[in-house]
Amino acid sequence: MRSEQETVKAIERYADTVRRLCVIHLKNDADTEDIFQTVFLKYVLSSVSFENDEHEKAWFIRVTINACKDLLRSFFRGHTVSLDEVPEQPAELPPDYRDVWDAVFSLPQNYRDVVYLHYFEDYTAPQISRILGKNVNTVYTLLTRSKRMLREKLGGEYDYE
Amino acid sequence: MNDKFKEIFGQIRAEEELKNRTRLFLAGKTRGYARAGTEKRRRPVYAAYAAACLLSVLLGGRWLYFAPIAEISIDINPSIELRVNRFDQVISVDGLNGDGQALAQGLDVKYRTYTAAIEKILHHDRIAALLSNDEVMAITVSGSDELRSVRILSEVEACTAEHRNTYYYVAPPEDAAAAHELGLSCGKYRAFLELRRLDPDITPEAVGEMTMREIWELAGRLSPDGGNGLPPYGSQENGHHGHHGRGGNANKRRRRMPSPALARYSSSSAEDSGGFPPIFISCHFSLVMRSCRGLDPSKGPTYPRSSSWSTSRAARE
Repeated sequence: MRSEQETVKAIERYADTVRRLCVIHLKNDADTEDIFQTVFLKYVLSSVSFENDEHEKAWFIRVTINACKDLLRSFFRGHTVSLDEVPEQPAELPPDYRDVWDAVFSLPQNYRDVVYLHYFEDYTAPQISRILGKNVNTVYTLLTRSKRMLREKLGGEYDYE
Repeated sequence: MNDKFKEIFGQIRAEEELKNRTRLFLAGKTRGYARAGTEKRRRPVYAAYAAACLLSVLLGGRWLYFAPIAEISIDINPSIELRVNRFDQVISVDGLNGDGQALAQGLDVKYRTYTAAIEKILHHDRIAALLSNDEVMAITVSGSDELRSVRILSEVEACTAEHRNTYYYVAPPEDAAAAHELGLSCGKYRAFLELRRLDPDITPEAVGEMTMREIWELAGRLSPDGGNGLPPYGSQENGHHGHHGRGGNANKRRRRMPSPALARYSSSSAEDSGGFPPIFISCHFSLVMRSCRGLDPSKGPTYPRSSSWSTSRAARE
């Protein structure tokens, strides 16, 4: 089991990442908090030794995504919660970003993962494939389709490279 | 455009309140990180246990070491069962179906700690291939010492945190005995009871040879609501399945969800389940921890402690 000091440091370092992934997958605060706490409890109980910070971050991303997907796959959850709902926009989001927010969060879940990991976390397709356990070509396909869908939603003036 | 993506995702941040609640949650779950702080101090205790064990063995008391106090059943198909002694070491590995027996013969996990054994099993070629093929894995711990079972389950979950489609349960010892009478593991036994509620013609032999995913899919097909409302086997009363939760959240979910399975189980009886008592299954170890250890008494247990463990009448999921 990890020490309190180690855990507090991990919370400071990865809380935003875990929170973002929760928002990408989940649609309510109760589920988000459940998964948020679950991920850090797994970290505390885990005996995995990380080679470096990148390895540790990738572990958090993978565990968070898996925990979210497990929750979404649960029969009761799937039975009662809409999966297509776009999360509420932050109040401080500038008006010209609101259409981008809606476009990104209306993408299918798999696409949102790769968009987030590629555009925000700056992971390459091979890195994303390792984190998500997907084939590299699948990741390339998801990225290409995401760009096409975003272009259709937002118009052609944006550069997605 | 990349800037816009960075801007919108950057707007999402973990609130300080959420971080603080998580710190408190973790401190509660780990009893103030007590184990980490006392790791070194506990070594002499383990040494004393080991010395006592050795002495007992020398005196002819081998039973102390070889008495199983918990069983960990792992079901994918194969189904195998690890018996664990009081020193957290695996003392036997049994295959409970054809695939399981073949696998058990090829495993060298005896006399290892159960965490090392689980990790070795997960890295076994056959298991790794099944898991990468999106198969469902159910891990069930049963034993007469409920707190120890919960601790074992939490350690096992930590070992398997990186695997999807893995579900964790605690079962009382009487259910383990009933499962063994039918030649099933605990996980398969639970699945069998659930499937038999839906299809009285199902046999333990048939369930024993099915993969957990096949059981899942069959339960879905047999379910009156077309499979969307019924898990492959029992679930906790509020359907809180496969992940941790705060008591508050669990309560919220219970209020929010109609919990059709609960209604079914609540009204079920031994007769309903064909003479077999409905079994108690812990949805998730954190719920059990909360309930058994009283770590979060203000939120209240998800189910009464006395009924959750000591009786097999309480059904889950």
